Amino acid sequence: MDISGQIVLTALMAVFLFGVVLFLARAADWRTYTPLAGAGSGIVSREGGYGHAEKPAGIFRWLTTVDHKDIGILYGVYAILAFAWGGIAVIIMRAELITPGIDVTQALASSMGVSNGQNLYNGLLTSHGITMLFLFGTPILAAFSNYLVPLLIDADDMAFPRINAIAFWMLPPGAVLIWAGFFIAPFVDSVAPSMASWTMYPPQSTAQTAQGGAASTISQLNAGTDLMLLGLHLTGVSATMGAINFIATIFAERGPDVGWDKLDIFSWTILTQSALILFSFPLLGSALVMLLLDRNFATTFFTTDGGGTILYQHLFWFFGHPEVYILVLPPMGIISYVLPRFSGRKLFGFKFVVYSTLAIGVLSFGVWAHHMFSTGIDPRIRASFMAVSLAIAIPSAVKTFNWITTMWNGKIRLTTPMLFCIGFVGNFIIGGVTGVFLASIPVDLILHDTYYVVGHFHYVIMGAIAFAVFAGVYYWFPLVTGRMYQVTLAKAHFWLTMVGTNLTFFAMILMGYAGMPRRYATYNLITVGPIDFIQLLHVLATVGAFILLVAQIIWLWNMVQSYLEGPRVGPDPWNLEEDGVDSREWDWFEDRLDTALTDGGEPEDAETDA
Amino acid sequence: MTVAEESGDDHGHHLPAVEDWPRGFGEASWWPFVAALGAGGIYLGAALYVLVSRNIVSYGVFAGAAILSTLLFLVGLFGWLYHAFIVSFWERGADEHSAHKLRWGMVAFLGSEVATFSAGFVYYFFVRVGDVGEVPHLFGSLVIVNTALLVASSFTIHFAHTSLLKGNRKRFIGLLGATLVLGLVFIAGQVYEYYEFIVHEGFALGSGEFSQVFASGFYALTGLHGLHVSLGAVLIGIVFVRALRGQYSAERHVSVSTVSMYWHFVDIVWIFLVVVLYVGAPVA
Ligand SMILES: [Cu+2]
Repeated sequence: MDISGQIVLTALMAVFLFGVVLFLARAADWRTYTPLAGAGSGIVSREGGYGHAEKPAGIFRWLTTVDHKDIGILYGVYAILAFAWGGIAVIIMRAELITPGIDVTQALASSMGVSNGQNLYNGLLTSHGITMLFLFGTPILAAFSNYLVPLLIDADDMAFPRINAIAFWMLPPGAVLIWAGFFIAPFVDSVAPSMASWTMYPPQSTAQTAQGGAASTISQLNAGTDLMLLGLHLTGVSATMGAINFIATIFAERGPDVGWDKLDIFSWTILTQSALILFSFPLLGSALVMLLLDRNFATTFFTTDGGGTILYQHLFWFFGHPEVYILVLPPMGIISYVLPRFSGRKLFGFKFVVYSTLAIGVLSFGVWAHHMFSTGIDPRIRASFMAVSLAIAIPSAVKTFNWITTMWNGKIRLTTPMLFCIGFVGNFIIGGVTGVFLASIPVDLILHDTYYVVGHFHYVIMGAIAFAVFAGVYYWFPLVTGRMYQVTLAKAHFWLTMVGTNLTFFAMILMGYAGMPRRYATYNLITVGPIDFIQLLHVLATVGAFILLVAQIIWLWNMVQSYLEGPRVGPDPWNLEEDGVDSREWDWFEDRLDTALTDGGEPEDAETDA
Repeated sequence: MTVAEESGDDHGHHLPAVEDWPRGFGEASWWPFVAALGAGGIYLGAALYVLVSRNIVSYGVFAGAAILSTLLFLVGLFGWLYHAFIVSFWERGADEHSAHKLRWGMVAFLGSEVATFSAGFVYYFFVRVGDVGEVPHLFGSLVIVNTALLVASSFTIHFAHTSLLKGNRKRFIGLLGATLVLGLVFIAGQVYEYYEFIVHEGFALGSGEFSQVFASGFYALTGLHGLHVSLGAVLIGIVFVRALRGQYSAERHVSVSTVSMYWHFVDIVWIFLVVVLYVGAPVA
């Protein structure tokens, strides 16, 4: 298609989109979200039946909102869409890996405009990693922190509500750019999805063509990677703005009776996470710009005669390791917050959980080179990084023991959020202990770049972080929607996710021991080692991945259906007051129900999962 | 202000966006969305530039997108600043609480700036440990004059602030104006230095007379710093115009103090830059 044709198409598209916006704007009676889902009058009034509205109705409400709760919901919806993208990418990859040869991706490649199956696999691998970490992981945690932190610290809103809004609205264009390679590839031969992997090591990230070879001139470089780097930079700016906002909020917006001694554990983890973001994301941002300059303006930052790939790896992992804790600290906060509610007692050793959070925050900047043990860096540097990496296991273990002792002799209620909390602890132990082995240089040299590493970090990312996210989603679902989810579906979701996670990722750990290297689309060239065993484990891992897929479809259905039609809940849906473990956000919820009842009517019998 | 007044009895809940468009709501503002659209467009413009260099998109498409998005971004920012800070400045009254959070916001932002700069410095140290190759003559009268200007501007902005606190409005405006002029002259000096290096001395990216490894680090660090000085000049310019229009007082001076913090930070980075780059590079 020639350029003018494209311009005409673009103009038509713009007119169409404008029409859609007009339609949505006029359809003021469409289902307007209200936290209590009762007063569907079209205007949204905070605190129920007041004379005027703080927000416009319909789609404009969502585009213009500066309310932290609305922005939290936007973050959540965005993260779930990204989760779907990253999930579909990995489902295609796991389907490819059932058999040793190249088949599924080969069949898909030409229709997606990619030169061959391996390149498509590499593109999916890159997109899966980047999407899950930057477009799902960070935003889904921002969903929780935006909605909850102001409520938990008794603030009116975030410190900077408008910055909160712009930080969110930078994410959709960021995602479009990150995924742009997939959108452009069908139309332009010289563009493919980036195949640089989520770590973007040069020279792969600075010299690759769309066909996967080495470019000899700038014009041959795969533009998909440039677009991904630009999108990543934009999402990094967004994350940094969010972190500045949370730091200012927690320092300056706490209510009069929320001193530092009264700050809840979730806000502590968000504060620590924000500090980590503040010092790591801008550094990644600069490294990404340096990659872009190397690609487009012939600078020498990461070329062999300049800083080289080792410099890039130092910069990347100085960001990348804290990123692990950016992603795991708030989930640990959710677990520390939710787990005691269903153990009928307070969090055991609260202070030590806070101290261990801060200790992890500090130590996390001193361990990055454990990702580079096999690169040939100075052995003395290696040894010191090994020592700190082993030491960081201690604060993590402190937390684990605190969770276990909180449950010990407690009055345990196996609600869905509690099941996910317990699943978190179990999976985190496996993910953590496998990590301790990797921190040891001799073990790492053997297991480096095998599926063992993939199994290890997925136990943490899927088995722990995603479990904590689900625990939080179920626990606060009534708070956000005023309704209860379907308990049977929720329990099915938990058990399928638990089985799927362990099947997939334990198989990967075993595969790593057997010597299966990571990142390959095929394994038909392996001629030594337990080939049949590896083949079997690949099949098991794929079965596990499909179980996970089914579980998440059940979850999505449960969320949507329950949001629309679930039974209303009373002011204390978890019966927390009975055990004396109620908390501030539910008091806020009760206030809100009281004022809403004037135009809503009696809630039905309180629904609970207990 | 009607919305804010009505909600005065509502548990003291402050609505954050009472002046913003769309009017008549307290928790709705178009500005973040418009500014984000512009920011996203600027990144899209950069993406289109890449596609131009790969011969996929024509130059006009890139230029159009870049200009439009920059305009949109500026409109968003202007509306934002106007409604959040400038309009009904005096009606809002002194608010220690909001001053407190804005200062925390600036402190946190400067923390992130340390990380932004450190990537470039790490590159420079990393290559400096080895042999960076042939380095041009860097340290001369221009650098000394520029450094003196920037250090002086740190003093003028500091004393502008203290004059405001003492109620000496005339001196406040005078010293603020002096800071702005010093900053602008510094930027002009940097532009002149770049011009000399690139056009007359053959020290540039992509030309082989001097070390490319050093040129990458030099232009990255001084360029990044130059962008920060330029942003600082814009911020001081905004504060200056607001001061001329009668805003700020001994009780109402948050943006003067946050901009001053930012300016001092940029100054400190410059001194660090002079020491390690201009003076330190040729040292064997
Ligand atoms: Cu690490």
